[in-house]
Amino acid sequence: MGAMTFETARQRADVIMEIRRFFSGLGYLEVDTPLLSPHLIPESSIEVFASTLLRPDGYRKDLYLVPSPEVWMKPLIAQGYGSIFQICKCFRNGEQQGRQHNSEFTMLEWYTVDSGSEENIGLTEELFRRLIPLGLPEYAYPPFRRLSVDQACEEYAGIVPTDYPEAEDLAEAARGLSLSPAAEETWESVFNRIFVQFVEGALPQDKPLVLYDYPARIPTLAAGRGDGRHSDRWELYAGGFECANCFAEETDYRRVESYFRQEAKAKAASPVPHAVNPRWTEMYRREHPRLSGVAMGVDRLIALTLGKTSIDGVIFFPLCDILDE
Amino acid sequence: MKAGAIDKGTCLLIKGDPFLVVEREFVNPGKGSAFVRLKVKNLINGQVLKPVMKSQDTVEEVNVSDRPCQYLYADDESIHFMDTDSFEQFTVPVEDFDDKRLLMKDGETYTVIMWEDKPIDIKIPYKVVYTVTEAQDAVKGDTVTGATKTVTVETGLTVKVPIFIKQGEKILVNTETLEYVERVND
Repeated sequence: MGAMTFETARQRADVIMEIRRFFSGLGYLEVDTPLLSPHLIPESSIEVFASTLLRPDGYRKDLYLVPSPEVWMKPLIAQGYGSIFQICKCFRNGEQQGRQHNSEFTMLEWYTVDSGSEENIGLTEELFRRLIPLGLPEYAYPPFRRLSVDQACEEYAGIVPTDYPEAEDLAEAARGLSLSPAAEETWESVFNRIFVQFVEGALPQDKPLVLYDYPARIPTLAAGRGDGRHSDRWELYAGGFECANCFAEETDYRRVESYFRQEAKAKAASPVPHAVNPRWTEMYRREHPRLSGVAMGVDRLIALTLGKTSIDGVIFFPLCDILDE
Repeated sequence: MKAGAIDKGTCLLIKGDPFLVVEREFVNPGKGSAFVRLKVKNLINGQVLKPVMKSQDTVEEVNVSDRPCQYLYADDESIHFMDTDSFEQFTVPVEDFDDKRLLMKDGETYTVIMWEDKPIDIKIPYKVVYTVTEAQDAVKGDTVTGATKTVTVETGLTVKVPIFIKQGEKILVNTETLEYVERVND
């Protein structure tokens, strides 16, 4: 990886300061919640880092580095904090270090109360508009192009995966596209094979792209669209990066609890299992505001403002340099 | 082997043909498990494919061997090596390894990867120290912090470096990105 130049360090500081000004100006409260947590939200697609707390009396407790500040920000929403934002370090294990990933990275996460995912597209466009004077290249200018996952799959893979509700049928369709899903592969896994092979690399890059309405078969804490097929969530692609994702947050306690049970089970079999607090979901049993949250990779955003297609050189002491991979 | 263990330089058997992995990137689609995106080159006909595999997929590896060789020189057509065990000299076409030629230093020993007596890859260390052979002095008054200039090193490779780098100095270069890493003091 290239060394961080002073100009890039300055740009980093300027972008982060502008993000703070933007959200503070809109009345969002900045919070800084713990990075070490005794329990996490189970997400089977994310590996985490585990650590151990030691006390002088010999007490030990496993603590985990947060892969996102969600686990602490959502309880603040439940306590009535209103719209909040945070810029913090997050940690994801099991990823290749380099062009797109550093296991320790800077995340911007915000939650907008009384809002759906659509309003947060507008807000993200507004944030990008604010970054134009900092050098944002024209291909990253708002307004964003919008494309549903179904449309994208039809265009670039020639099939609409949500037309195949059964995993085996989707696997058969994938074989027709000369892919080789394993026997008994999950629906989500076959979908991702199709998406990564044909769709993701073919997405238009001349403007930022909001890819919306993901298949409901991918387990997340996003609310359903009500059609049983789609989740109300979007991902933002810009300059070759997956920059941000947004959920209309699920607030129905039955569905949140069901997600927790299902994903906690899947997570228990992962290389770094972590504790899950079953009481975390209790806040949804009380009145909860309608809510939409966005997580945005700040290192990627900074790279974007510099016209770069890699986070190479925009983070101080990246892991692949420290580890000399 | 598992697809997750594939690296650049791995040779795979795909539909009966041997392929060299020239690029490998792990990708995690939004809320999805890990995939490995490959760029592979057919060792027989040069055809390039870009398959995507799940990290847990099983793939078949092709047997290749390492041959330690001294890099002698390159001309317009060939790169000349000498096997350091047998002292046998051999050449490989320049166009096959155009991206490696400017990274190799005369007289240095490199590992050449062989498949059925055919050289298919040359291993270059991730970071290499080169000597700057051509560099213009910084222009007086050009004091913008972080400004860069382009210098040439002994192999002919050109690298963007900070303006304080002078002719004769040694620099560490990342051979994958071809970017300057740091100045090396003797």
